[in-house]
Amino acid sequence: MLIQIQNVFKIYNEGFENEVRALNGVSLSIDRGEFVAIVGQSGSGKSTLMNILGCLDIPTYGDYHLDGTDITERSDRQLSHIRNKQIGFIFQGFNLIPTLSAYENVELPLVYQGIRAREREERVMDALERVNLADRCEHKPTQMSGGQQQRVAIARAIATHPPIILADEPTGALDSKTGQHVLEILRRLYKEGTTIILITHDNGIAATAPRVVRISDGVIIEDRQQEVTWL
Amino acid sequence: MNLVRSIKMAFKSIVARRGRTFLTMLGIIIGLAAVITQITYVKGQSKEIMAYYESMGTNQIQISAYKWGSGSANLFQSLYDYCLQLDDLVEGVTPNVYIWGTVQYGTKNSDTMDYSPQLYLGSDQWSLCNNFTISQGRDLTYLDIKAAHQVCVLGSRAKELFFDYSDPIGKTITLSGVPFEVVGVYARKDFSESAEMGWSLDNVIVFPYSTTRALAASGQDYSDMSEFVAKAKSREALTEAVTRLDGFLAGLIGDPSTGNSYGHYSVYSPEQGRESTEEANKKQENMMAGVAAISLLVGGIGIMNTMLVTVTERTREIGIRKAIGAERRSIIAQFLIEACIICGIGGLLGILASYPACWIYCRKELGYIVNPDASIMITGVVVSVLLGVVFGMYPAIKASGLQPVDALRAE
Repeated sequence: MLIQIQNVFKIYNEGFENEVRALNGVSLSIDRGEFVAIVGQSGSGKSTLMNILGCLDIPTYGDYHLDGTDITERSDRQLSHIRNKQIGFIFQGFNLIPTLSAYENVELPLVYQGIRAREREERVMDALERVNLADRCEHKPTQMSGGQQQRVAIARAIATHPPIILADEPTGALDSKTGQHVLEILRRLYKEGTTIILITHDNGIAATAPRVVRISDGVIIEDRQQEVTWL
Repeated sequence: MNLVRSIKMAFKSIVARRGRTFLTMLGIIIGLAAVITQITYVKGQSKEIMAYYESMGTNQIQISAYKWGSGSANLFQSLYDYCLQLDDLVEGVTPNVYIWGTVQYGTKNSDTMDYSPQLYLGSDQWSLCNNFTISQGRDLTYLDIKAAHQVCVLGSRAKELFFDYSDPIGKTITLSGVPFEVVGVYARKDFSESAEMGWSLDNVIVFPYSTTRALAASGQDYSDMSEFVAKAKSREALTEAVTRLDGFLAGLIGDPSTGNSYGHYSVYSPEQGRESTEEANKKQENMMAGVAAISLLVGGIGIMNTMLVTVTERTREIGIRKAIGAERRSIIAQFLIEACIICGIGGLLGILASYPACWIYCRKELGYIVNPDASIMITGVVVSVLLGVVFGMYPAIKASGLQPVDALRAE
């Protein structure tokens, strides 16, 4: 199992009157090379789940094993390394750094990995070519459309060749046509063997995923495989 | 995260906020410029004072003594005899009487000169006690004094004023109408800045003190000798000699504090004055260093403030960086480098600004231009970069400690 979480709780203000149980005992296993859509209404706990899966947050209780290592035991620095090497993030709001060009944004995770300049350049250009933006590499995010920005973000996520892509509402800020384009890129990555975890509130998008995990009020209420047309 | 990229990135973010960054820099710029100007001024001032003491002569003892009803010549004789007894402490003693009078040579008249020469009555030991050496002709001799020869020796500046480049030896000048033959010229000893301006210690003429009678014939009475200069053999002998002379004069004239005195006297060593001046200068420099610390501290707090604002503004960026794998130390390095660059540029601009500040201030206060020391400037840059480290540390640590989830949620 690539990802294995067991009986995970995320509780805010535990023991106080305003206690919030964002995750209330969630167990989930995701195998290498799966395409999973995690679906839920806003406030269902899906974003919290995604933060924990992405090692951006740690559970209050429960176990999380990523590729065999226990995440809850790791230090801040080790979590940085795991995020850097194992996970590629794609966010709803793109989350590009506005002062840096597309090229520099894609380069950043490689810089943090300590990769040499020449190899960096190859990998950045390769990643940008895969999202058809090689010709836009000197542009700042503000000089690009939403779809282009999200493609830059995807390039940044795949530049390190992570085994997992974690996409949080990647189409949320895009119109349906560019949204489809982004989803197609994700499907292509899936076919190439990358594990895709797609967080969404959109049932339409969820319907196109081979596996759907539905979450509500901090618990998983449905976990099923389904046939999809694009495979 | 390599350094060159970090610096490049820091420059980008500084340029993106150049207005605010410059205002923050102003604190460092003004602080550093003020500090450098003050230190340069104090240095220039103390250098000037030291040069003055230096040229006055080392181990000098200035004696002022007057006894009612007794001839001043007698007083000098007693002093002279006493100094002979102190021959292991005192090298020489001379009257050092500053007199007023008109010196004339041909058409040159001291009354019409911008800086007229200072006239002294002295003995053959005057040059020894006042740190002059002969460069041309001869000095006053014991015989000149004994026989009251009407001769004189010129300081190098006085020689230039009256004789330009011609040979003065054997020429006759007049003091209040009384003729004196020039027998020698002293070597130049005052190379201070003020000497260039005209106030030169070399602008002197020395006459034998025994010629007061001849001068009296012209209606000028210079017989009131009350100023003397002695020279101690060494720095070690100086303090002892001052004490002995003080005791001797107390016995001769009477201790003013008991009320049984028959005149007044004082014994003073410029060397001791020089020491206290040095001490005062040191204190002033230390105070300046204190002021420096305060003004730069304020500048540093400004840097910290700006960096905190920057961190708050860029919370989301920090979140992104952490999400894609930045370690804490990368974030710390990024903000520290940024703070150091701001401070470093501020330091360089401060040094640049200190030049005109030094020129204007020293020109006004000292009368000439002084350039800041290279060592002060290097220290200035180093100190400002260190300020960046010190005051950038807290904001940088704060930034690096942000939780990625919280940081990503920020707008």
